[in-house]
Amino acid sequence: MTIEFSLTKRQEELRGMIRSFAKNVIRPQSLAWDRAHGIPEDFLMRFTQMAAAAGGSAGAWGIQGLGASADESAPKPDAADKKKKSAMVNTVIAAEELATGDPALLLCLPGPGLGGPPVRGSGTPEQKERFFSIFRDMSAGLKWGAYALTEPGAGSDVAGIRTSCRKDGKAWVLDGRKCFITNGARASWNVVFATIDPALGRAGHRAFVVEKGTPGFSVGKIEDKMGLRASETAELVFDECRVPEENLLGGEERYQTKEGFMTAMKTFDNTRPLVAAMAIGIGRAAYEYARDFVKENYVLSRPIPRYAAIAERLARVGRELAAARITTWRAAWLADQEVANAKEASMAKAAGGQAAIRACFEAIEICGAHGTIAEEHQLLEKWFRDIKVYDIFEGTGQIQRIVISKRLMPDLKSF
Amino acid sequence: MIDFEPTEEQTLMVTAVSQLAEKLRGAIRRTEEERGLSEETRKTAFEMGLGGAVSVPESHGGAGLGLVTAVLLDEALAAGDPAAPFALGGPGAFASAIAELGTAEQASAWITRLSAHDRCGAVAWSEARPNRTRPGLSALATKDGDAWVLRGEKAFVLNADRADAFVVFAQVDEAKGWSGVGAFVVDAKADGVRVGARKSTLGLDAVGACDVTLEGVRITNDDRLLGGDEFTKAALRFFVKEGLKVASRAVGLSQSAVDIALEYVSNRRAFGKPIGHFQAVAFTLADRAIDIDGARGLLRRAASLWDAFAAGTAQERDALLTSAYAIAASLEGAMRAGDDAVQLHGGAGFMRDYPVEKLMRDAKQLALCVMTKEQADQLAAAIELDMPLDPALVLPTPDLQAVFT
Repeated sequence: MTIEFSLTKRQEELRGMIRSFAKNVIRPQSLAWDRAHGIPEDFLMRFTQMAAAAGGSAGAWGIQGLGASADESAPKPDAADKKKKSAMVNTVIAAEELATGDPALLLCLPGPGLGGPPVRGSGTPEQKERFFSIFRDMSAGLKWGAYALTEPGAGSDVAGIRTSCRKDGKAWVLDGRKCFITNGARASWNVVFATIDPALGRAGHRAFVVEKGTPGFSVGKIEDKMGLRASETAELVFDECRVPEENLLGGEERYQTKEGFMTAMKTFDNTRPLVAAMAIGIGRAAYEYARDFVKENYVLSRPIPRYAAIAERLARVGRELAAARITTWRAAWLADQEVANAKEASMAKAAGGQAAIRACFEAIEICGAHGTIAEEHQLLEKWFRDIKVYDIFEGTGQIQRIVISKRLMPDLKSF
Repeated sequence: MIDFEPTEEQTLMVTAVSQLAEKLRGAIRRTEEERGLSEETRKTAFEMGLGGAVSVPESHGGAGLGLVTAVLLDEALAAGDPAAPFALGGPGAFASAIAELGTAEQASAWITRLSAHDRCGAVAWSEARPNRTRPGLSALATKDGDAWVLRGEKAFVLNADRADAFVVFAQVDEAKGWSGVGAFVVDAKADGVRVGARKSTLGLDAVGACDVTLEGVRITNDDRLLGGDEFTKAALRFFVKEGLKVASRAVGLSQSAVDIALEYVSNRRAFGKPIGHFQAVAFTLADRAIDIDGARGLLRRAASLWDAFAAGTAQERDALLTSAYAIAASLEGAMRAGDDAVQLHGGAGFMRDYPVEKLMRDAKQLALCVMTKEQADQLAAAIELDMPLDPALVLPTPDLQAVFT
């Protein structure tokens, strides 16, 4: 071990391949997807097949856990190989590149999505087999999994969820509503969090895998959003919804402790660096657009009285993105080393979202009125709309700071 | 391969330096009053290998441990006293300058000469005012037969009061503006070298800063530093690499400020509980922790790029750009950390009973050493916009902002 940050040859290749695909194939379609509120399934199908072919498994694209791969049979590195593990680092490198093409694409990829980590982490072997096996062969049709935690009355305060569950014979009966669920409507199954008694707080939480077509489960409205419009965001309704007891994630005994809530939270330690990397990708796209605009329109053709002011802005944006990237890499690297990374994951998420928002704001200002025009190859206004949610979903910037604060001051209890 | 873990050797060195830093932290007010490190501290530090030429290649008379090791050690030491890395014995910044600008023979001869805890080198770059008649330095180097004669006034020279030798920058070609600058090694005892009185400064009290006047100092041609193929590029490399060391000291300062503030807000009670419970307080510290993580990562990445550049496996452009980002992020972060540490202490922070007011002053002064945030931003933008690296734009000239070297 030694401090260094050069990519391996394989990582370089992976990055180069995704970079050119993002620029030449994805980006030209991005605005159309945004306007159509979705990405055509045949594109997703081809993309998934290509990713699998390119690397032998979708894992080579580093996007497992996010969508494309549900491959539980992927070889796990043995302990001696631990120092060389780089799955999360590969993931964040790939996610940044893909997001420069279109951030919604990552959210639309078929596979278990955010539902993957809780099933993988808490599911029984039988459940893992049952819920992941549907993704093994998607040649007949794409399939998604999803993660349903947020409710109209409980977002950041996860412990405050009100969707109820009660045991009735061999089934659990769920009542309540979930909102802002990515891919929730088209998902074959949703991991749904409910409570046996709100007074119990986290200890009362239960996680269920609710399959499409379960009696009493229906999809409410599909949200109309500021950005990421090609990604489906759904409301889920549970009205006397009867979920078979074998769909209680991890089985009954798992919930004698605080495991239920931990199931919800563990998902984030791995997804936050990923979301940070996506934000950085969008921010980088905006930064590079503004930089090239300045280069082409000001620097070469004539003396620029605005140079110093523009230079300062560009440098600040480039620097904040670079700093957020290194923090994100560190959070991912810690995950690969199997070291607890909750603080670092939150730092990455907070830094990435903020740096990228600033990048998108500044890029528009630097380009002037030009920056607000939407055209196939000019996406600043879209990135500006897309980026804001990166400081909101997967834990708002404020929630990240609470996570960080708790770890900076472990003796203090509340923030 | 991305790896954030230091080598075992680096970890051992950092542990030892951290122990020294702990002692320095306890003595920080005494060091301030005495305006320097004790002889004993210098000796200890020197025996630990902190002689100032840590990153200089062995071929040039240094320890050859690389820039990554240098920034790790500087950060650890600065966490005890941010001024300490400047105030050690040995060639210091002089070593970095001569290694970058001189030949291997010039560098190893001088670095060897100055490698003792009671010896010291310095770099004379800045001048008190910009030249109003033409671009470039006002100090002149004129050719006289085989020799050079130096005349002029240099300013903001750190360690000038105890230096045995200087790297002096002066104009060798008045017609060429900032491209007409040259560098020379000047023995402090040479005729015509006059070191002014030590200035009273805002912070970094352990290191002296003085003017240096050159009144017809004669230099043999052997002591001219040609900077290899391209003097400007070599000079830029010196400023950027030395700037990274200053930046690592800024990160050490930031960490120290945050640690002290965390302890204070965990104990200071208001409204019935420790003030750390309040989000306005906690989030401020969370933000500073985020700053530190990003700056430290950039700094190490930049240093590793320079080590890779030396080994022929990285591009100079990448090393320069990442360094510019690292320098600006670290200096800005330290100014925020120092300011916030004082702020979170409330009125107590303003009192010299607590160390944070000193860290805040030190942070501001650190931000004016070698390369400023503004200069680093200019450099980053010039690189990213593919502009020629015009020395008037990318060197820390007094035209932009005078710096301590």
